[in-house]
Amino acid sequence: MRAPLIALTALLLTTVLVACAPGSLQPDATIPPTVQPDAADQKVPTRYIASGDDWGFPSPFAFYQRGPGYIRMSYLFDTLVWKDEAGTIPWLAESWNVADDGMTWTFVLRQDVIWHDGQPLTAEDVAFSYVYLAAAFDSGMVKWGWPLDKVAFAQASDDGRSVQIGIIEPTAGLLTDLFGSLPIIPRHVWEDVEDPVKMLENQAVMGSGPFKLQEYSKEQGRYVFHANSDYFLGAPNVDELVFVRVQDASLALMSEEIDESSFTGKQIVAVDAFREDKRFEILEGPNYWTLKLYYNPERSPLDRRQVRQAIAFAVDRPEIVAKAQLGGAIVASTGLLSPGTIWHNPDLPTYDRDLAKSRSLLSDANALPLALELVTTATYEREAELIALQLADVGIEVTVKIGDRTTVDALLNDGDFDLLVTGHGGMANPDLDTPSPVWHNAAYQTAYEESLLAVTDEAKRQSLVWQMQEIIAEELPVLALWHPLMWDVYRPGVVKPFYTMEGVDGGIPLPANKLMFLR
Amino acid sequence: MINKLLQYGLTIWAVLTLNFFLPRMIPGNPLAQLDTVEGLPVALSQEQRDQIIAYYGLDQPLHTQYFQYMRGLVNGDLGWSISYNAPVSDVLVGRLKWTLLVVGAATVLYVLLGILLGGISAWHHHRPVDRIILIGGSALGSLPSFFMGMLLVMLFAVRLRWLPLSGARSAQSLGATGGATVRDVVRHMILPVLALVLTSVGQVAYLTRNALLQVLGQGYITAARAKGLRERSLLMRHALPNALLPVVAFVAMRLGFIAMGAVMIETTFAYPGIGLAIVQASTSRDYAMLQGAFAVVTVSIIVANIVGDLLQYVIDPRLRRPIQ
Repeated sequence: MRAPLIALTALLLTTVLVACAPGSLQPDATIPPTVQPDAADQKVPTRYIASGDDWGFPSPFAFYQRGPGYIRMSYLFDTLVWKDEAGTIPWLAESWNVADDGMTWTFVLRQDVIWHDGQPLTAEDVAFSYVYLAAAFDSGMVKWGWPLDKVAFAQASDDGRSVQIGIIEPTAGLLTDLFGSLPIIPRHVWEDVEDPVKMLENQAVMGSGPFKLQEYSKEQGRYVFHANSDYFLGAPNVDELVFVRVQDASLALMSEEIDESSFTGKQIVAVDAFREDKRFEILEGPNYWTLKLYYNPERSPLDRRQVRQAIAFAVDRPEIVAKAQLGGAIVASTGLLSPGTIWHNPDLPTYDRDLAKSRSLLSDANALPLALELVTTATYEREAELIALQLADVGIEVTVKIGDRTTVDALLNDGDFDLLVTGHGGMANPDLDTPSPVWHNAAYQTAYEESLLAVTDEAKRQSLVWQMQEIIAEELPVLALWHPLMWDVYRPGVVKPFYTMEGVDGGIPLPANKLMFLR
Repeated sequence: MINKLLQYGLTIWAVLTLNFFLPRMIPGNPLAQLDTVEGLPVALSQEQRDQIIAYYGLDQPLHTQYFQYMRGLVNGDLGWSISYNAPVSDVLVGRLKWTLLVVGAATVLYVLLGILLGGISAWHHHRPVDRIILIGGSALGSLPSFFMGMLLVMLFAVRLRWLPLSGARSAQSLGATGGATVRDVVRHMILPVLALVLTSVGQVAYLTRNALLQVLGQGYITAARAKGLRERSLLMRHALPNALLPVVAFVAMRLGFIAMGAVMIETTFAYPGIGLAIVQASTSRDYAMLQGAFAVVTVSIIVANIVGDLLQYVIDPRLRRPIQ
């Protein structure tokens, strides 16, 4: 009886030990490198494989409204202007200008662009795109945040060389949010389509972009793009572009199943493992994401600014960064905009931990004894627990409640919480229209509206945006906790990823700008 | 029998109705994941949100939505998934085929293997072979399937590099010939199937062993042995068929659950099965997706039960005799 039992236990233990024992992973010499710099004489197609997931069918109406979803679509469709590392660059439009009153934009278009089906892309297509998408927006068929409600009209010129787009009121930031983001779609495909959301045929992904969609598998989260050799900026530097879902990006990179993957925040641990590996390069980038502690100023005593500030002085943000994000983040700017964006105001209070000040503010406001509930998702449970411990030091009792993302978002939007921790991305351009759904401040609202009117006066816009950040840092509708760091680990070859200025579109921080395939 | 079918019909209707109301009772709504604060700043205005709600027909009165849902089900139209932006049936079929492949193959394997091992175990009752099979089976079965999966990946994919890390197909297998594609799919199936088989075979073996032992203790077996029947013939033609009754019931039930997928295996191997889709649907409060998925699962469980009942009816003549 004992012998077989011992034998079995030994077998099981051996299996576990073999699997867990550390060791080096040798690159498999028989797998050919997937990116070949000198492909001149070879007929083997160059391929670039990146880790990804299912982000929706990449038509302008069907991609899932997340950054990567937009990016997939952007490989197939073009916009009037685009962005590189430094800022806005011409794309379908060679040049543009805006009238003095900020209400009319004129774009002069390139004449050498063709659709994937060979037909030329004309000014009529551009005008049609704006009109069609604005109408779809009004019918609830557009889920991406293009400011299409600001479009008054779009008109192609008689000579077909330019397009005029009218705006209902002067609005700053349109070059990024609208003209640098809205895909131009072919009129001959879409003009008779009444329900663009449900159009999932091949024509829906027929665009003018540097790639054509070869295969899309929803359940495998896989996209295969083939190069468009007739692209107006020249053929892309890879023949085939593949995005595929992998279980563990680090393992997949190590085993050379993929060429590239992005990491953020506490994944710094995985990134460090690649630093010594000569096969990979690591690109570090700015991130426009912010994790925030929301206060509910509609509930006493959180309606008093001293109490909110007292809580801010009791929270130890460097400790949260070190313990919850393992150093893979920076303490956030209290004005919400990270130092990585050009709109960041560096002269804001930092609320360094000061227990004495916190206690005195609380006693002045007569707020103690105080018991609050902190709601968050499982992702930020550590942050929540740390905050609860830190607030206990000043006599505030915090109970942490964990819910799923949808529930937490619902509670936030309904104003049904005391404290809440969640995060928000894409805060470039700058996207500060509502720091919190339960906070209303007249001075802030005025500054915000004025900033929108400063269409051409960059200095004025900047001073207003700085002012908005000051108000946020002073009034504290939210306490910004951290901005995550971001890295891109890739195998060097013809493709060199880069981080777009202020993110792709309105702040997608991914180093997946289609320009990197056109260099 | 007709009575039973009517009962099943009523059960299906009741479950599908419950299926409609339950997702709507969870706080949140399908639009919540469109406007999630964690995503990109897709700042939908209230007006825009209302328009989107109207577009998806979510603002219609509940009974109207219910009748649309029922009518759709009868026509085979499972509705439109807001989170996947595609017809629910497309999403489900796309994933169901992978689930059927892996979970189906695993079920067939562990049932056959389990019956075989259970038979050997019972035949060599109380001897070392019996002990090894029992202990091995329950030891392996006590490991959670995702842990088993991880062990297998570490051993075969990372260390030995014999098999791929994850997924249903590799990125490199595009544009490959039919034979190469089949080989690729099979290579990706091996570890998930193995994980499922290893963690489930013990149960079937145990069940078979016990049922067989009971049967072997019966008087008619002793009589057959006394008649001079060979051991193998005894086992295969007299003992095993009678012992299989509880196993058939067990397997029929398990077959029904195939449609639910194996969420842990799908997560560990990033395998595109239906289990993960169901979990995601509940997180995103995608009513149509949840309704569709549970309709499929419910119907398949009930069908499996019906098949199980029929099989037992066929195998066991006692069930066919009218009750005295």
